[in-house]
Amino acid sequence: MSELHLTPPHLMHPEYPQETAMSEAKKIEVKNLNFYYGNFHALKNINMDIPDNRVTAFIGPSGCGKSTLLRTFNRMYQLYPKQVAKGEIILDGENVLDAKQDLNLLRAKVGMVFQKPTPFPMSIYDNIAFGIKLYENLKKTDLNDRVEWALRKAALWNEVKDKLDQSGTSLSGGQQQRLCIARGIAVKPEVLLLDEPCSALDPISTARIEELIHELKTDYTIVIVTHNMQQAARVSDYTAYMYLGELIEFGVTDMMFTKPARRETEDYITGKFG
Amino acid sequence: MTGLDYKRYLRRRVVNAFNLTISMMAVAFALFFLAWILWTLISTGIGHLGISAFTKMTPPPGSQGGLLNAIVGSLLMVVTATLIGTPIGILAGTYLAEFGRGGWLAPSTRFINDILLSAPSIVIGLFVYELVVHRMGHFSGWAGAFALALIVLPVVVRTTENMLQLVPNSLREAAAALGAPQWKVVVMVSYRAAHAGILTGILLAVARIAGETAPLLFTALNNQFWSSDLNGPMSSLAVIIFQFAMSPYEDWHHLAWAGALLITLFVLGLNILARSIFRKGNNA
Repeated sequence: MSELHLTPPHLMHPEYPQETAMSEAKKIEVKNLNFYYGNFHALKNINMDIPDNRVTAFIGPSGCGKSTLLRTFNRMYQLYPKQVAKGEIILDGENVLDAKQDLNLLRAKVGMVFQKPTPFPMSIYDNIAFGIKLYENLKKTDLNDRVEWALRKAALWNEVKDKLDQSGTSLSGGQQQRLCIARGIAVKPEVLLLDEPCSALDPISTARIEELIHELKTDYTIVIVTHNMQQAARVSDYTAYMYLGELIEFGVTDMMFTKPARRETEDYITGKFG
Repeated sequence: MTGLDYKRYLRRRVVNAFNLTISMMAVAFALFFLAWILWTLISTGIGHLGISAFTKMTPPPGSQGGLLNAIVGSLLMVVTATLIGTPIGILAGTYLAEFGRGGWLAPSTRFINDILLSAPSIVIGLFVYELVVHRMGHFSGWAGAFALALIVLPVVVRTTENMLQLVPNSLREAAAALGAPQWKVVVMVSYRAAHAGILTGILLAVARIAGETAPLLFTALNNQFWSSDLNGPMSSLAVIIFQFAMSPYEDWHHLAWAGALLITLFVLGLNILARSIFRKGNNA
């Protein structure tokens, strides 16, 4: 993998610890990405590199395009007509936006967890097994092991191990969201996209999921969209600030929150705006 | 409270009370006739709905008999029609809700389906007469079942589409995000989420055709004797009621009442079943 170039470089703060950043391997390169909802130009010429095995947070006010950007990484937007992405998103050397890209394989590799918990109308066990069975032909015992592994990873195993055959919709909101995370990691993706995963949860469930994100980053590249700046500061290594479809600033989280290079970022982070 | 315009408040209360009264009267009006129909049916029909109605064939005037051949004929044709109409209807509804986004085919299909949904059943009967009976040269249970299937079809298409549209897109996105191909998303997730509603729609379609008379008059015609052969003319409760009620014979009138009560109870039962399934499905 080539070296990471944080972009846009001219926006960097002079005191920015360039050498730390430069040593990161990059997982996803976004090049000149533009996105349209029909005639609406939602993302304007985005360039950024997402580092491997790190947590990258997208922050910004509502409607700034952070979820839209996230949804281009697994081409989720393509479920809907009239949504178009132009540019390049290079994942492990291949352009995700290429028409030849197999969408199902891409999504198996780039997992996603959504804002609202979305348990499937089936048992807890089947919720996890659903994704695994799509691409792997496991023996029953191996499948059981994988389901347990995923539920343990998502810190849900102890709460559901005795009721795996119950409906996934019978769980509480926080449990449902951890079920969805377990479902996402059960297929062993390489990248995990989290679209405001805690916005519908209480503080205790949120804390659990944040711990989980910390643990998961050893194995996965994680990109998280969040409205909560404290959360971005707590969980992420890198932060991108977006506004009106543009990437305003992108850098190491600690620097972004202490010495942002741009005035707009500072205003947003300090709450003068947003 | 400051700024309370008492007159304005009073007027709102009066308007509210007025509208509430009007709508309650409308409810009472509708319920009154429904109760009346039910009461007449039960009080007149129950006395003639004995064991013999289920064991004997339709009689010639002046002799003892039952409704067995009509009941069996109705069941055969309704089941056949449902077996023909349901799979096609579900597939078409699935196309409209899941695959037909964007493009011209889905909106046109939806429009035509709506026309079919409100087509008078006598027109459907005449259509099948021309298409099947005329060409085969004789009336048949198949023709009757086919006509009923044409009535089932648009109902199932419509309910399937509507129920699938109630499945939140977030659920489809979640399944797609795991790398599931679209057909798998539909079969494993959308159908599971919507199955209670779709099943309800099918039951209501069955209830709808159980009492249809017009499409059978030109297709299955009638049969006074026992017949389970769909290739020949076939008796049905609805047509028997039509024939017997119009006749001048007292005992035929009695059987017509019994048949009417039977159909009504069947349809009522189906509706109750549909509701309880729908409710259970929504709570799960």
